[in-house]
Amino acid sequence: MSDPMPNPRFAFAGHLTAIGSLVAGAGITLMPKDDLALATVIARKGQAGVLGERVQALFGIPLPARPKRAAAGKIAFIGTGPGQWLAIEESSGDPQSFAAKLATEFAGSGSVCDQSDGRAVIRVSGPRARHVLAKGLPVDLHPRAFGPGDAALSQIALISTLLWQIDEAPTYEIAVFRSMAGSFADWLIASGAEYGIAAMS
Amino acid sequence: MQIECPFCGKRDAHEFAYLGDATVARPDPAVPDAARAFYEYVYLRDNPAGSHRELWYHSAGCHSWLVVTRDTRTHAIETIAQVGAR
Repeated sequence: MSDPMPNPRFAFAGHLTAIGSLVAGAGITLMPKDDLALATVIARKGQAGVLGERVQALFGIPLPARPKRAAAGKIAFIGTGPGQWLAIEESSGDPQSFAAKLATEFAGSGSVCDQSDGRAVIRVSGPRARHVLAKGLPVDLHPRAFGPGDAALSQIALISTLLWQIDEAPTYEIAVFRSMAGSFADWLIASGAEYGIAAMS
Repeated sequence: MQIECPFCGKRDAHEFAYLGDATVARPDPAVPDAARAFYEYVYLRDNPAGSHRELWYHSAGCHSWLVVTRDTRTHAIETIAQVGAR
């Protein structure tokens, strides 16, 4: 008799229940992004130019050489270090196939590692989003310093975070290591409580 | 103290790990007096009051290795360069 396969469990499942139902006039809104395919891409030595050309040809995205997010359609690349990126596919029905496809396309110019189960991504938006993040993130998110398309690697409450801004609402998306999702949700809920939090699924 | 990472921009020194003297070079283990050369390389470090070249690692950010020229008396940073940029 074989063991049944465990049911897939989203990273933030059960961690946002303390928020309760939607609060009218909430200062921040949290939305787990459970449907992303994620992969790290690292340029092989001296191959960053070739890799950039492949990404441009495949997705029509200029590979950012800075901590920026460049996106087209369902695909985005975020600069996470010199010669390193996080590649994201939205609404992915088959996350593992994204990394496999990239690995094939980038053979010889880039190394790809699937992170769809390795990172947890949550969307933080609303008029008080900056106030909440300012309690933990040592990066200036004022519109003069940080806007849509900008990204930053840093730490919140000693949790390594990759944050990028989507729009001027403002809307941010934050990736943490999956095992830190619960701790990070606790920090978000504690820090955002005074502004009122809404959770969306 | 803040360090301006060439990739991430200006960040607090807490995001970085200090890895020490960037002026020393690892000796050749094949030379006849290698033991003495390694002893000096590992233990006999200068502790200058003034301009010093140091290795810093952006552990909480982009994981870049940096060579920072810093005045150890004032923490004023003169130059910052990335090590082994791709």
